Amino acid sequence: MNTPIFKIVITAFLLLFFTQCKKDKNTRYEIIQTPSYGDNLNKDKDKTNIEFHSILTTNLFQKPSSINELTRTDRVIQSCGDKTLINEVIISNYMNSNLVKLPSRRMMVDSTERFVEETYVRFFIRRPTEAEKTWFINFINANKSNVNFRPELVYTAFSASDEYMFY
Amino acid sequence: MKRREFVKKAAVVTTGSIVLPYLLPSGSLFARTNAPLADHVVYVIFGGGLRQQDSILQRYLADSQNFNVGGNILYNMLEGAPPTSKIAYGTTPSGQPDGIQPIPKILSQTLQKQGTIFAEMRAVSGGHYGGLNSLVTGSRVEGQGLKVRPINPTVFEYARRFGGFKATDTWFIGNTIGNSVPLLNSSKHPDFGLAYGGNFFAPNITFGGDGFAALSNAKIYHPQEELEPMYKMKNFLDNSFNIKKGDMPGIRNTDDERTQIKEFIAATFQRQAAGLLPMPPVSGGDGSTIGYAAEVLRVFKPKLLVVNMSGIDGCHSNFTGYLQSMHRADHALGFLWNYIQNSIPEMSGKTALCFVPECGRNLQHNPILDANDWYGYDHGDTNSLRVFGGMVGPNIQSNLMVGSESNPIGTVTDFNLTIAEILGYKSDVINAGHIDPNAKSLFDRI
Repeated sequence: MNTPIFKIVITAFLLLFFTQCKKDKNTRYEIIQTPSYGDNLNKDKDKTNIEFHSILTTNLFQKPSSINELTRTDRVIQSCGDKTLINEVIISNYMNSNLVKLPSRRMMVDSTERFVEETYVRFFIRRPTEAEKTWFINFINANKSNVNFRPELVYTAFSASDEYMFY
Repeated sequence: MKRREFVKKAAVVTTGSIVLPYLLPSGSLFARTNAPLADHVVYVIFGGGLRQQDSILQRYLADSQNFNVGGNILYNMLEGAPPTSKIAYGTTPSGQPDGIQPIPKILSQTLQKQGTIFAEMRAVSGGHYGGLNSLVTGSRVEGQGLKVRPINPTVFEYARRFGGFKATDTWFIGNTIGNSVPLLNSSKHPDFGLAYGGNFFAPNITFGGDGFAALSNAKIYHPQEELEPMYKMKNFLDNSFNIKKGDMPGIRNTDDERTQIKEFIAATFQRQAAGLLPMPPVSGGDGSTIGYAAEVLRVFKPKLLVVNMSGIDGCHSNFTGYLQSMHRADHALGFLWNYIQNSIPEMSGKTALCFVPECGRNLQHNPILDANDWYGYDHGDTNSLRVFGGMVGPNIQSNLMVGSESNPIGTVTDFNLTIAEILGYKSDVINAGHIDPNAKSLFDRI
């Protein structure tokens, strides 16, 4: 068993075994469609006044404002010390326009979960966490009896929030 | 109860009863470090660069245009007879020479008679932003860049942190959104900053054509049924995002204060349309800024309001316009003081008024001639560090002139400590260590 011929045969066999031809594997790569939304952890750059209102008017009217309107709005924001406050006033000015596009109150009340998710995606470009979704669903349900509680107020809260001022 | 336990509990209760009443929302333990001298301070930056020779020294054209005509065109502020010839500082009735009609005096007694004037003070900068910055921070402005918030705390931050005042107790009314003026309502100092900043309006924008288009059609929401749930949602969203203090884009008011300011904005457009705003008889420009400041005082009765004027700066190219602006600024100041005393009962007799320009103007003229062939004056040389200032109100000595042309007393950085003394927290401001080390309260200069 320990003859040199036997060792040579074994070595040749092993060499052949590890270097033999193999059948090609057909690997296929496919794309799975998955919606990708960020979180709020990396939003650390504040929007300029013009960026903010350009995005806001696009969200509310489905079309951006003219540069003249944006420049004018920028000057007004600069003229007030509390930026979130003056943004709220400007937003409520927009809400007085009949061109603003809002979901119906019925949709908010009947499809609350969908309404909350869509609002988060629309304004924050991300899905709500479970805690956020639960809080909003509970809050909207608790305010169902208040006829003045409308999607307009939810949109105003999102538009005037800190997160909406950052990207 | 054992004796030791009794003694321990008694000590805790006694300490608590002493300390707790003085705990402020601002985190300051003790509200005041000296007895306040007045309940409110209005600080007017008589700004734009006011040449000492043409103002308090009352040389009119004598020290600037080689005409031997002196006189006082600030006769609400200062004692002294007005010029008798070459009248060009007034208004212009239709068809008459430019500036021929002096504006009637508003105050029955000049501010000089009612208070204390520092006749010859020193500014720390011959430029606008440096000058304004030194006036609101009380510090020398070395190392300070343009177009950034002051590096040292402002008068608003001291008032809110050490006086325990809320945001709507402190206001800055600016005449422009240029020259970094909107950045002066708060510093970027890590221990102070926007969390303690004052509210700010530039009324010629906020309530001018731009503001009218962007703000005047705003909805007025029901405070309980609409605003309350809206603020609850916004506060939830803000708490989820947890913005860092240094990233705040502006100052913060409480929900109640925001509602109050929104109502103020809506009401101001209505009162503007109805002609009900308290404007000086001769208004426009700086006069209009002062009028809106009066409206803020009427509604909010703030502890501290700072307002700046700058029409005087036209002196670079129009000396006649400069004289007219100076005269109108005096008129506006007289109106403001009169309005506080006669139309705001809550502030009448309880308000101190401080006034000072941010800088002076050059000794020598530039080559630019105006329509009267009078030369313009820039600012930046040592003469532009010569200014005067004053204060009037409760516990301020009346009919007192401190210092003279040959005996300068006081610097513009003194005003921050003076305001701190009037409102009762001078030691806190000194101990914070950000004030010009040579600054003193003006009460200590007398």
